[in-house]
Amino acid sequence: MKDTVIKFDNVTKIYKLYSSTRKRLLAIFFKDIKYKKKKAVDEVSFEIKRGDSVALFGKNGAGKSTVLKMITGVTFPTSGEITVNGRVSALLELTSGFDQEFSGRENIYLKGHILGLSDKEIKELEGTIIEFSELGDYIDQPVRTYSSGMKSRLGFAINVNIKPEILIVDEALSVGDTAFRVKCKEKVNEIIEKDNVTLLFVTHQTAVAEDFCTRGIVMKNGKLIFDGDVHEASEYYKKMYNIKKK
Amino acid sequence: MKSYFDIIALNLREHKENINQIARLSIADLKKTYHGSALGWAWAVIKPVFTIFVYWFAISIGLRSGKDVGEYPFILWLVAGMISWFFMGDAITGGTMCIRRYSYLVTKMKYPIMTIPTFTNLSNLFIHIILVFVVILLFWVMGFPPTVYLLQLPLYTLLMFLFFNAWALFAGLVSAIGKDFANLVKSLNIAVFWLSGILWNIENVADNKIIYTILMLNPVTFICYGYRNCFIDHVWFFEQPKRLIYFLCWYLVLGFLSIWAYKKLRKEIPDVL
Repeated sequence: MKDTVIKFDNVTKIYKLYSSTRKRLLAIFFKDIKYKKKKAVDEVSFEIKRGDSVALFGKNGAGKSTVLKMITGVTFPTSGEITVNGRVSALLELTSGFDQEFSGRENIYLKGHILGLSDKEIKELEGTIIEFSELGDYIDQPVRTYSSGMKSRLGFAINVNIKPEILIVDEALSVGDTAFRVKCKEKVNEIIEKDNVTLLFVTHQTAVAEDFCTRGIVMKNGKLIFDGDVHEASEYYKKMYNIKKK
Repeated sequence: MKSYFDIIALNLREHKENINQIARLSIADLKKTYHGSALGWAWAVIKPVFTIFVYWFAISIGLRSGKDVGEYPFILWLVAGMISWFFMGDAITGGTMCIRRYSYLVTKMKYPIMTIPTFTNLSNLFIHIILVFVVILLFWVMGFPPTVYLLQLPLYTLLMFLFFNAWALFAGLVSAIGKDFANLVKSLNIAVFWLSGILWNIENVADNKIIYTILMLNPVTFICYGYRNCFIDHVWFFEQPKRLIYFLCWYLVLGFLSIWAYKKLRKEIPDVL
């Protein structure tokens, strides 16, 4: 029996939308400031076992990103229980998780430390990461001077090489040129097979997802509406999308 | 959510578990402040020296005020008080921005955010400690070697550090929701500076008991005069128990506010930043 690494139990996330920043600030001190509620995730429950590879489908605003953010522990659910076991490495918005003033190399250490690796472990990975990112001499320049492609490459290189136990990929494979994309795919496939990594993959391209994943989850308006085989999920998602189109 | 005591325990645990990370980030913060300028580290000393000179010039030459205090020339009296203000002034305004400045630690990764104020203040503290040694040297050069009263300086520094950690946690969290709070603090900062007896001796108004007491209640005054106790006045901290108690009361209030803000805002902040 494989152990559960991610478990969502009736998770709901409500964003509070205030009409202005002023109101949001006042709401800290006064209870009766009005705001609109936006349910981004609506009573979602699922379980993911170690080694699973799951694709998450859904249109913009379906709540996928919020689910991923809650798994990484960045955002908190309004109600419900989330259990996550293992080191999460998230490829969310690859270009922005860096300290702009630090060099690429310093950022490798920063991210590594925050993920709980020791200096020694990072030193061992450093070479692989720099080589994978293809940044060459730029690695010692401040990240703010990087192009968005360079940042994405570095972000990807760090996150896949840092020995994740749970890997979350959010559209990240669409970065860089074709050669780099192929390399990314191979790397992801490699760590899934070799290290028994759990993969969560978010994309609009169902074909790519079917390459990687065995299971598919479809979300709509914050609700989980399909959970099953990736091909079926992909069909379901496409059908839903086509009907909407007509 | 959790109770106040849980949050205090969590706060301590987060600091204990991340002590290396805090040290690294504070050094990184320091580097970030000073690199990118040609003179780099020299600014850490140039800026305060220049500021003190300007104030000394305005008060002594311009206003023809600033009498010597006891056997100490006015400039040394000014330096002894100003040096703590350089930390406190930065901590007051910097504290409000600390979480916004490190928003990527909040929104992009799982990071114990209660340690953000600590490492930003710590980076300030490094500079402060360097300045303290410069000041000790300055006193020595001007013919006033260190006295036994200097031994209590680390205590005042520690109190100052803890106090402004609580402040930065509270102010940083609230400002993360809306910048207005940071702007409010920025404008009040000038008032705090002029009402703190950093530039002028509060003992001058000692005959007006009410004003004197109100001014002495100011925690910034407590630290500033604490530093002068060490360098100029040669008074032990336990000889002024009332002042210490006032200060500790302030600390409790601020500590409570910071925990309250954490309890209230922790879940909301990643959605807002």
